[in-house]
Amino acid sequence: MAADLSALQAYQAAARAAQQVTPGGDTAAAGSANVDFGGLVTDAVASTQETLAGAEAMTQASLTGQADLIDVATAVSAAEITLETVVAVRDEVVKAYQEILRMPI
Amino acid sequence: MAGHNDTMQISAAGLRAQAARMRIISENIANADSTARTPGGDPYRRQIPVFEAELDRVTGVNTVRMTDAVPDMSSFKMEYNPGHPAADEQGYVRTTNVQSLVEMMDMREAMRTYEANLNMIENHRRMMDRTLDLLRR
Repeated sequence: MAADLSALQAYQAAARAAQQVTPGGDTAAAGSANVDFGGLVTDAVASTQETLAGAEAMTQASLTGQADLIDVATAVSAAEITLETVVAVRDEVVKAYQEILRMPI
Repeated sequence: MAGHNDTMQISAAGLRAQAARMRIISENIANADSTARTPGGDPYRRQIPVFEAELDRVTGVNTVRMTDAVPDMSSFKMEYNPGHPAADEQGYVRTTNVQSLVEMMDMREAMRTYEANLNMIENHRRMMDRTLDLLRR
C-alpha cells in the first residue's frame, strides 16, 4: 500500500508541475479541471508537439539552406529530450493507475 | 527544462563561433598566395577572428559570438620575382602575411574548441538521460 500512496503523490506532483509549466494556459479558470489525467496528458502532448514541430520546421529550413546544421541538431535534441521526459512521466503515471486497479477491495 | 535548453544554446553558440572561425582560417589558407595585380598594390591581408561574450538579456546567459574579423597589420613578405605583374622596380613582389604554420595551429585550436562544445552537449544529454532513468527505475 505504501508504494501505491507514493506513486499517487508523485502523479499529483507531476500534474501540478505540468500545470505550472504550461505557458499561457488558463490556469486560474480551469485550476481544478486541469489536474486530472486527461488534462495532464493534453498539456504534455501539446507542449511536446510544439517542440517536435519546431524541430521539424528547423529541419525543413536547413534543407532549403535557411538554417544551420547546428540549429537543427539542437532543436532535434531538445525535442528528443522533451519526448523522452513525457514518455517516462506517462509510463510512471500509467503504472500508478495499474497499481490502483490491482488494489484488492 | 529551462536550464537544459540554456546549456544547449550556449554550447551551440560556441559551435557556431568556431565554425565561423574555421571560415576565416580557410579564407586565410586559400588566399595564402594571393597578390596584387599592379605594382605597389597590397596583397591579401590575413584576417583575425574576434570573439566576444554576448549577454542574452532575456535568459541571462553569456553566449559567445564571433563579432568580426580584423585585418592582421603585420608586415608583408617580400619575394624576388621580376616577371610578376605586381613586381616593383627592384623586382620584388609583396606577398601575404599568412603563415601556414600559424593557420594550421589556429585550425587545430578551432577543432578542439568545437569538440569541447560538442562534448559539453553530449555530457549534458547524458545527465538528462540519467535523471530520466530515475523515473524509469
